[in-house]
Amino acid sequence: MSAFFAIENLGMRFGGLTAVNDFSMEVQEGSIHALIGPNGAGKSTVFNCISRFCDPQKGSIRFGGRDLLELRAHQIVAAGIGRTFQNLELLRRMTVLENVLIGQTIHVPRYLPFAPSPRRARAEAAALRDSEAILEETNLSAYRDTLAGELDFGHQKLLDLARALAGKPRLLLLDEPAAGLRNREISFVDQLLLKLAKSRGLTIMLVEHVMPLVMSVADRITVLSFGQKIAEGSPAEIRRHPKVIEAYLGSEAHA
Amino acid sequence: MYGSLRASEFVGVLAILVAGFALPFMLPEYFLYTGNMLMTYAVLAIGLDLLIGWSGQFAFAHIAFFGIGIYGTAILESRLGVPYLLSALASALIAGGAGLLIGFPAARLKTVYLALATYAFAECAQWVFRTWDPVTGGSDGLRFNPPVIFGYETGTDGAAFPVVAIILALVVTATLYLAKSKLGRHMCAIRDSEHVASASGIDVRGIKVATFAISAVFASIAGSAYTLFQSFINADVLGASQLVTVLTMVVIGGSSSIAGVLLGVVVVGFLPEILRAMPHSLLVWQEFIYGAILVAAIVFMPQGLWGLFRQRIAARPRRHDRSARESPAVRPVPETSP
Repeated sequence: MSAFFAIENLGMRFGGLTAVNDFSMEVQEGSIHALIGPNGAGKSTVFNCISRFCDPQKGSIRFGGRDLLELRAHQIVAAGIGRTFQNLELLRRMTVLENVLIGQTIHVPRYLPFAPSPRRARAEAAALRDSEAILEETNLSAYRDTLAGELDFGHQKLLDLARALAGKPRLLLLDEPAAGLRNREISFVDQLLLKLAKSRGLTIMLVEHVMPLVMSVADRITVLSFGQKIAEGSPAEIRRHPKVIEAYLGSEAHA
Repeated sequence: MYGSLRASEFVGVLAILVAGFALPFMLPEYFLYTGNMLMTYAVLAIGLDLLIGWSGQFAFAHIAFFGIGIYGTAILESRLGVPYLLSALASALIAGGAGLLIGFPAARLKTVYLALATYAFAECAQWVFRTWDPVTGGSDGLRFNPPVIFGYETGTDGAAFPVVAIILALVVTATLYLAKSKLGRHMCAIRDSEHVASASGIDVRGIKVATFAISAVFASIAGSAYTLFQSFINADVLGASQLVTVLTMVVIGGSSSIAGVLLGVVVVGFLPEILRAMPHSLLVWQEFIYGAILVAAIVFMPQGLWGLFRQRIAARPRRHDRSARESPAVRPVPETSP
């Protein structure tokens, strides 16, 4: 049986810099799999290869019976993979609701701008209903018509997540969902992730620096350092792993 | 969000049509000429705004497509005797095709590179208009006859005025529908973040190319409108200063808003009239003053006049805003940092 999601021998160089080197990992269906490592370890590059913003020179990324490297960036969400962004990329001049509607793009039929059809009207009404349900779920309903750029930081983070959920992915890539949040907000994100994973049967890949969050939600952790995998295992195993303590926690303690 | 026109939009379009049919009986010929020019500029500016304001593509080839519309319609109609509407349609198709052609490479470029490449295309087009003697009349320009549409002759400004108004009303209606369509929203999504758009399943390059083509078609339609009340075209009027005028209209009025663009067209369009009326006519300073206004607008009101006006409205407290702010139950993350 082939894995739900598998990266094999991924290699990505930017000019002379090797960002990811011969990296392989598998993700089990229904799990929350964290990808951790010091700054510059290549975590975001792995995500960008999966969402096809980067063209890796080597390897394959297998999901749902196909190699994602054969697809273009905008086809990834239709393949079943959604993502959030580390640096708060939002549609800042569009409303919260519009952001979520954009997230639903692949679930509304193709356009003929001046040809209304009952089928399309139904699909659009359904998209609107779904979007509002997602806003409800992420507690953003009250900000439905606010411009995304006018939300405060915490809500912008939530909106990023809401938009990604709207694509109804089977695999969700979260790039530092807790970065910049305060403790109370982190515990909210924590609860939300567990709830979502359960209620939607989501598989989640998580890049995160906030260790308490990683340790409490992840089923499995992969550790990257200088573009290479140095350890993989359950949170308890990773916490005790000497190489991880040296490369990650150690370097962080000195920083 | 989705769907048909709002009442205010419908009234706006209707107002353009009513003005188009009523004003020729009320205004002297000179004002009608200015009106025709302004409506033509409006079509141009709306098309340019699709690229600049909606999809955030700073592309400056617009006047080239305007030229294709003018020369195409004039040559087909006046020299080859093709009916006006067919000439306009053919020119729009040619312009749309040219838009696709430069859209493919342009969609890979960003910021300054996109601006330079498209500007270079516009310069090339102007050179072709100026030197292709057998077709465009070269530097002598091209004289053409007033079009006849289903027996209706458009020779004078008064006669052309209702037709130009109909063209403007159609373009505004099409743009209003576009704003509500999936395509329109995708353009805005690309403007705000190509990464988010792409990760949401939007083919960024495809939408950019489509925007280039639609914008080019609009510019060509403006060119066809121009032939209704003019009888002469020379490549000199299709240069960079024309682009600056249209760009000023879009930026002053307020990009990515049809009402804003129309406001900008009126304000900037009447500027020469005001300058002319000044003691010791300031008209010779026109280009300079445009430039100064453009810079001032970008610095002091990046959202344009319309944006300023809307901010004033938004600043007034509204009931549903307050209720959102006051209900603590819906705030999941109470301690957010600014």
